[in-house]
Amino acid sequence: MESLTLHTITPILWLALFFAPIIASFPIAMIWQVDREIGRKLSLISVIGLFISFLISLHILFSVEEGRYVYPWLTSLGINFVFVVDYLSKYMGALTGFIAFIIGIYGLEYMKEDYRLGWYWFFFNLFTASMLLVVYSDNLFMLLIGWEGLGIASWGLIGHWFRDDDELSYVGVIDRKVGPLRMFWSPSTGGWRAISTIRVGDMPMFLAVAAIFALTGTLDISQIHWGELFEKLGTAGTIILLFAFLMGPFTKSAQLPFSEWLMTAMTGPTTVSALLHSATMVAAGTYLFMRISWYIKPWEIHLPGVEIIYTAVLFLGLISSLYGASVALASRERKVLLAASTMSSLGLMFAVSASSNWVGELGVVVAFWYLITHAFAKATLFLVAGHLIHETHDRFLGGDREVFSKMKLTAIVTLFATITLAGIPPLTAYWVKSAMDEALHELIPHFSYLPLLLLIAISAIYSAFLAKFFTLNFWKGRHVHLHLHGGGLMKLAYTLMASMLILLLFSIYSGLDEHSGEFLHAGIAITSFAVGLIVSGSYIAGFVKPEYESVVGRILYDRVYVMALNDYIASRIGWFFVEILDSFSKLIDNITHSIIPDIFEILSIAIRRIQDGSLERYAKMVVGLALLALLISSAAGWL
Amino acid sequence: MELAIVSLVVLSITSAISFRFKYAGLAGALLAVFIMAINNPLLMLVLIIALLNLASLDLMKGFLRGVDYGLVGLIFVSTIYAFYSQNLAFLLAMFVASSVPTYMLVMASDDRIRMEVGVKYITFMVIATVLFIIGSVLMVHSKYTSAEALYYVGFTMLILGLAIEVGVAPFHEWVPDVFDSADPIPVSIIASIAKFVPFVVAFKIISSTSTGSFIPVLIVGTLAVISMLMGNIGALTSQKPARILAYSTVANMGYILAALAVIYKPEFIYLAFAGAMLQLLTNSFGKIGFFLGLKEDAMPRIESYILALSFIGLPPLMGFWSKLYILASLVYSNLIWIAVFLVINSAMSVPYYIRLVRLFEGKLAFRKLAGYLITVSAVIMLITIVPPNWIVESSRILMKYLVIGGV
Repeated sequence: MESLTLHTITPILWLALFFAPIIASFPIAMIWQVDREIGRKLSLISVIGLFISFLISLHILFSVEEGRYVYPWLTSLGINFVFVVDYLSKYMGALTGFIAFIIGIYGLEYMKEDYRLGWYWFFFNLFTASMLLVVYSDNLFMLLIGWEGLGIASWGLIGHWFRDDDELSYVGVIDRKVGPLRMFWSPSTGGWRAISTIRVGDMPMFLAVAAIFALTGTLDISQIHWGELFEKLGTAGTIILLFAFLMGPFTKSAQLPFSEWLMTAMTGPTTVSALLHSATMVAAGTYLFMRISWYIKPWEIHLPGVEIIYTAVLFLGLISSLYGASVALASRERKVLLAASTMSSLGLMFAVSASSNWVGELGVVVAFWYLITHAFAKATLFLVAGHLIHETHDRFLGGDREVFSKMKLTAIVTLFATITLAGIPPLTAYWVKSAMDEALHELIPHFSYLPLLLLIAISAIYSAFLAKFFTLNFWKGRHVHLHLHGGGLMKLAYTLMASMLILLLFSIYSGLDEHSGEFLHAGIAITSFAVGLIVSGSYIAGFVKPEYESVVGRILYDRVYVMALNDYIASRIGWFFVEILDSFSKLIDNITHSIIPDIFEILSIAIRRIQDGSLERYAKMVVGLALLALLISSAAGWL
Repeated sequence: MELAIVSLVVLSITSAISFRFKYAGLAGALLAVFIMAINNPLLMLVLIIALLNLASLDLMKGFLRGVDYGLVGLIFVSTIYAFYSQNLAFLLAMFVASSVPTYMLVMASDDRIRMEVGVKYITFMVIATVLFIIGSVLMVHSKYTSAEALYYVGFTMLILGLAIEVGVAPFHEWVPDVFDSADPIPVSIIASIAKFVPFVVAFKIISSTSTGSFIPVLIVGTLAVISMLMGNIGALTSQKPARILAYSTVANMGYILAALAVIYKPEFIYLAFAGAMLQLLTNSFGKIGFFLGLKEDAMPRIESYILALSFIGLPPLMGFWSKLYILASLVYSNLIWIAVFLVINSAMSVPYYIRLVRLFEGKLAFRKLAGYLITVSAVIMLITIVPPNWIVESSRILMKYLVIGGV
């Protein structure tokens, strides 16, 4: 918190960064309702908006000084537009800008026949802008605006094909049921599931942010005195606050048990999946965890509450990662396999970031480098998957050597991306994963070998399913019919994306980055090399025997029935409340519509029944009542 | 008060002449009321009520024509006198003088003498008068001799008399029957001008003899709440307009009786009195309008809505301000429970007033005179578009005459 200096820079730069994509999507969003032919051509303007953001993010990366940029807003409440340029945000911003722009280019071709382009481009660009806001915001309130933008845009994009009329847009085998669970999900279900799951985490997160504001009087992540805050809160208070806060990242990044929305998010267009799984949305969760860890500096605070939370995140991440990798291994759908693998990677990012509590800042740096490597590789693979679905009209894994020979470039890019991401030496992810091995190796005094062994197991499984993805699509899969047409822009996009992995590798070798020495150092360790060999072996095994039928495999294929939580348990709980409220509503209706009017009607008739016209009776009544009243008042008077 | 003597003389002479010339009675009555008219807005409105009553008599035929003007005039004169008199004997005399003319009026109709209604009505009125008079005398006496037990008996008798006289539930049995079976014009008189004197006299006697005890407040408040509830609930399912109006009167008497509960807080009596008087005015104009409509079985549409909405208490009509003043005086006096009941009852009355107006919907064949009189009633409901501070001022003036002598 002492290292960041205040700078000023023209606010137009920031405004252009966040608003260029949104404004650029307005023409198509508005014209689309009127004239679709003109509308289709306006897609290009949206991509230009993304390009502007990309250029600005590059400018920030190379020519803007690190520090805080403050623009007053609600100064009396301590809420300002505060942007931060630091090691994390400058790379993350450029990454987001680049990936969104490249996927935008890809989308020009992939989405050109779509029936809802105005909707698509508006939400796609809003998605990018929201992510950039999350990346550069130092103020938690500003960050929440971007966070919510991500939520709404993900809903719009995952449920993009809202008509649910195309088998290609579903997840799961249509009409398949296991017990009471329907094992297939439509785009509209996917969209709803995404936003409803995320809300579960967002609510405690809002409360945590409010609590932070109430306790510290500021919302700027880099300015909060975290150590003092945690000391003031005590162990239980720290755990509650951090857990509530981290519910946001956990749900956003689909950690167990909130993973299902990510799987069914595959109902959206592939471009959306690519963006969602690389630089935005799910990355936002892990990024936020890295960002707050960066400033909390848990390695300097030695409080039990913080340690408990970081331990929990470490193991939650590893378990989620293992689950994701196993599910990916058993998956038969191109995109679902990649989705599960993303979940696995996110788990690793959480786990390694959490290891910073013991190993220091390096933990966050390694996790962040893994995020970048994974983003490029995963975006490449998703774009490839989209191209394959486009050419084969099939979302399940499939393709023999004919596909390889007819789509050579695609196959080579895929092979490169898979072996790079798997961590096979001496490619990019190997160095990053070696550093991860090293980080978890340092945890041995605290947790013995468990974290490290889990990481090695995950890496092996990870490598195997990447091999499976390649081989079942290009080498040994069933025969598929190819409908080759165009594809130029798509090829360009994923080739560019994959080439970034080479750039990363170059920057590690050449020591461009201040941390690359640490990666090289970790990579030449014997243990790291041994792990690299295990990973290579499992890649070969996956290549040779990509399919193996077993009971465990079938359960993993059904994702261990975690969807019961969303589709069965949560909905039962929901209906329980609905029924309580409904009966309450009926009670109110009954009271106001029947019981009260009935009572009044009965009373009214009783009052009117007195009037029978008989003077004698009236007189008796009145005189009787009058005498009674007099008797009472005399008695009262005497007393 | 010399003016009152003059007007009484004028009235008796012209009434005698009216046996030969019908409109001599009218001329005499008009003269008498103008003699009594003073620069007091409250009394001016009471005068307008009297004039509307007088004019509405022209819509009748029958045995009492001519004399009826004098009877209404007598009620008016005694009303004005009651406002100013500070003498117990005179007040009680005015009570009788404003009550007895209605005995004859109630029997009048276009074709015959309605003896049966008369008997029913007179029976109740006699009981009421006896109770009222004995009660007031006992109260004044016990105040003089400090006999507390006797005071409560006297108070109870006075309230019983008042309740039977004006039709407060549960002593309201005569009201629906008489309102339904008598001719609408005499009923409109009974329901309007004749209601002032009992309340004014009761206000004066109770405030002059008040011991500051809470028991009378409890009695009056309970009776008021019962009356509001029985009146409004009874009206909810009544189908005949005359009966709806009868129960509406019972409810209205409850509201006014509630104002009487404020009497133990002398500093707020002026406000309660203003509210009570304004409520009596609202009730009078409304009842005149609707009973004229009943007589004709037709009503001008907009006017009928204005009258009904004023009864409901919609701002800025007169019925809103009267309830507001009563509520304010109750709240200032910490009688929140009565205020709450008043508000609830006010809301409860909405459906039946609207139904009452609907019953007149599409019926427009009224005589010209009836139409004019209804319009005048409705227009007067609108004069409170300017907040009626004048009623509070009038009330403050009349407070000087509140305490009766010899106590």
